[in-house]
Formats: sequence, C-alpha cells, structure tokens
Amino acid sequence: MPPSETDAAIEVRGLSHRYEAEDGPLQALSGVDLRIADGEFVSLVGPSGCGKTTLLRAVGGLLAPETGEVRVHGLTPAAAQQARHFGLVSQDPGLLPWRNVEANVRLPLEVTGARADVGALLARVGIEGFARYMPRQLSGGMRQRVALARALAHGPRVLLMDEPFGALDEFSREAMRLELLRLWEAERSTVLFVTHSIREAVLLSDRVVVMGPRPGRVLAEIEVGLPRPRFEAQEETPEFGVLVARIRALLREAA
Amino acid sequence: MKRRTAGARAREVALTVLPAATFLAALLAAWEVWVRVREVRSYLLPPPSDVFRALADNPGRFASAAQGSLTAAVGGLLIASAIAFGLAVIMAHSRTLERALYPPALLVKVTPIVAVYPLLAIWFGFGIGPKVAIAALVTFFPMLVNAVVGLRSIDPQALDVLRVLNASRWQIFWRLRLPSSLPYVFAALRISVPLSLVGAVVAEFLSGSSGMGQLILIANGDFDTSGLFGAVFVLAALGVTLTLGVSYVEGRVLTWHESSGR
Repeated sequence: MPPSETDAAIEVRGLSHRYEAEDGPLQALSGVDLRIADGEFVSLVGPSGCGKTTLLRAVGGLLAPETGEVRVHGLTPAAAQQARHFGLVSQDPGLLPWRNVEANVRLPLEVTGARADVGALLARVGIEGFARYMPRQLSGGMRQRVALARALAHGPRVLLMDEPFGALDEFSREAMRLELLRLWEAERSTVLFVTHSIREAVLLSDRVVVMGPRPGRVLAEIEVGLPRPRFEAQEETPEFGVLVARIRALLREAA
Repeated sequence: MKRRTAGARAREVALTVLPAATFLAALLAAWEVWVRVREVRSYLLPPPSDVFRALADNPGRFASAAQGSLTAAVGGLLIASAIAFGLAVIMAHSRTLERALYPPALLVKVTPIVAVYPLLAIWFGFGIGPKVAIAALVTFFPMLVNAVVGLRSIDPQALDVLRVLNASRWQIFWRLRLPSSLPYVFAALRISVPLSLVGAVVAEFLSGSSGMGQLILIANGDFDTSGLFGAVFVLAALGVTLTLGVSYVEGRVLTWHESSGR
C-alpha cells in the first residue's frame, strides 16, 4: 500500500502517563498527539526519559495510559492485539532459549493459528540455513534477525520496534539497518521505531518524531523526504546532514 | 552442534569419575590399615572389609530395607513435588493467593517434623503411610519456593511478544512459564532428594517400621557396628544414585540451559 493513503494506522490523542517512582511520580508522557498513516515508517527519537518507549508500549497495549486515547486501524490496542495487528521487536531479542531458530519463529503462528512458510521467513531476514541452531549458538545480530522474522511471521500490519539494534555492535547495526530498509521497502507495513540514534532515525524513516523529557512530550515532527529506496551513501549527502543538524538542535534546545 | 565420539565421551567420564574414585579407595585402604595396625576394637570402628562382609553376608536384608526406605522417600518426594508445583502455579499467578498461602507453607517448613510424627502415625497407621508423609513434608517447601521463583523468572521481552499477540494465560503458561521454571524445579529436586531420605529414615527410627532406619536401630541394639556402617554405606549409595538420576534427567531435559554441558 502506498504511504500516501490518508486513513491512519495509528492515532494517539492526548496521551499522558505517570509512573510512581520512589521519589514521587514521574511524568513519562504529557499530552501527546500522533497520527501515523498506513504504511508509514515513523521513528521516535529523544534522550532517555522522554517517554518514547512508554508511547510505543501504550500503542501496543502493553501499558494502559492514565489518560488519552490510542487507536490502531480504528481499534483499541486490546482489540488490535486480538486482531493480530502487532509484531514486536525489542532491544533484547527475547527468544525462547529452549527452542531452535525455526521453532522460535513459529511461536506467533502457534499462538495465532496463522500460517506461513517459516523457511521463507528465515530467508527474508537472511538466516536461511540456521533453522536448527539454538539461540545461544548465535551472535547478537543473528538473534535479532530471528526476533525480526518472528515479529513478521503472522503478517502483522503494524511493526513496533523498541531500539531493536541498540544492543548490537556497530557493524551488525549497520547491516541490520540496511536489512530492515530492504524488507520494509518491499512490504510497506506501518512501522513505529524507537531509537537513540538520530542518524538511524533519518536513514530509515518517512518522518521523525522528536521527543523531549520532563515531561515526556513531542517537540517536533520532521518530514524526512529523502528519496527511496534509501541506501547507506545517502548519509553523506548535504540533505541528510541538514536533517540531522535540525533534529540535534531541537533536542539541545529542550535539554 | 558438537558431536563427540564414544571414545572421547568415555574418556571424559573417566576423567570426571576417576579422581573421586581413587580418593575414596585410598581412604578405605588407609582406614583398613589403620584399624589393623592400631588394633582398634571392632565395636568402635570395624575395618571396611568387615563392613563389606556384613553387607555380603546378608544382602537380602539390606536390599529389602533399602527398598522400603527408597519407596517411602521417592513416593513422598513425588507427591510433595506435584502438590507444591501445583500450588506454585497458583501462587505465581496471583500475589494475593501467594500472600495467603505462603505463611501456612512456611509453617510446615519451620515446624520440627519429629513433633508431628505421632499425629501422622495416628492418621496414617504404622506402615508406609507416615513415612511417605514425613518425606513429603520435608521436601514440600524447597519445591514450592523454587517453583514460584522459576515460574516468575520469565524473560519480560518474550512475555511482551506473547502479549501483543493476544496469547492466552494458558498459552503463556505452556510456552513460556513452564519451560522457564524447569531449571528451578531441578534445583529443588537436587535439594529434596537427600531430604527425602532423611525423612524416611527418621520416620523409621520413630516407628520401627521396616526400612534402613529400623535396620540401624536393630544393629545398634546388637552392638553390630559393622551392620551400622553397612546401613550408612547403603544410604549414601542411595543418595548418590538418586542425585545422579536427577542430574541425568536434568541433562536430558535442559540441554538448552547454560547450566548444562559443563
């Protein structure tokens, strides 16, 4: 589906949330509004404590916000879970250590009853031939590929990614970014992508949502507008540099 | 995946077992020599050869006693483990029920088991019943505590993945909680195996019902020190065998766990 479609995949209105911390309540999110089109790739960037993970968890129905509303393809997060709309990749791959790669990727199929060719899924993320490996035999980058294949297995419409490459070394991270770009540009599902890295956000996204801390809020939304398909060398273009500088300036202002 | 040849495996086993076996043999030899050279009176400390002779003279008596104690110990262990695990499943799902059930469970643990024995004898008679009950009571708590911790020790990221898929509690239990708890369950079993033998033998001391405990009482009454040592040897062998059995099953089941394959 082209990203120009106007119906929203994700709609967030007036979202606020507080955590009870030991030294009093912590305002994780304050009055956040966000609209993400179907097939759009949107990144949330900002320093620790700006509420980006909280926002992602509220969208995925993993956290019930104090106030505000979330709709995913017109459904509440709980209903969207029931409709099997979500795929999730976190910083820690969260693989089941007693299952081999293939069985890990099959997990969503067992839970949802959906059908998919696991071999083809492994090939899509570049780990065909590792089906029988156990997670502990794999490198961090490979494990994250398994987590990605698992998130895609049941054909979700919305992919939630919470710093998926945050724990990887620089080389694996680079490779995974390109892998994700290639995958997404072929499928164009909706992606909500949380990251610390401004460059990563600009390289991957259609739009970057810049967030600030205390209280967690949206500072600005930056349309990226770089041509697709994207590739590494675009990081060296002046347009890329301008976007990164703009986002950095916004974050510095808020700090 | 690494596959070792049978020869390499046998070598590895030999290297693991040999040092301990050699030391044990040396210890027995030193004991034998010391007793003979110093002419220690045999009712104080019989030489190991006498102990083994006592065992060899009456193998049926030791075997049937061992069987009696073993049945009670293993029976109690299995019953207690099953009940404790079932309770742990309930407690792992509800903090309220955990708060309700934990203090009574703790009460079972801290009450001296010897004090409870007469009650058990009244309820279960003088056969195997109270022995099984005592073995069950002493092994109940380790399994309960470990299983609760194990069932809660789930990877939060894996749980999130299942939650966004709208997985049911049942699916989460079978696919995540139960396998996550297994290393803890086996740790509990390794603690419980020797406890279950203690429970059975104590019950036999108190009741005089047949088993290793009764054998020890009789040997004690006869000043049969060789028989006493024989009973101790048999009980040690039972403990070792049961523990190795648990380890073997654990190695088979938990191939994925970092504790395996050492």
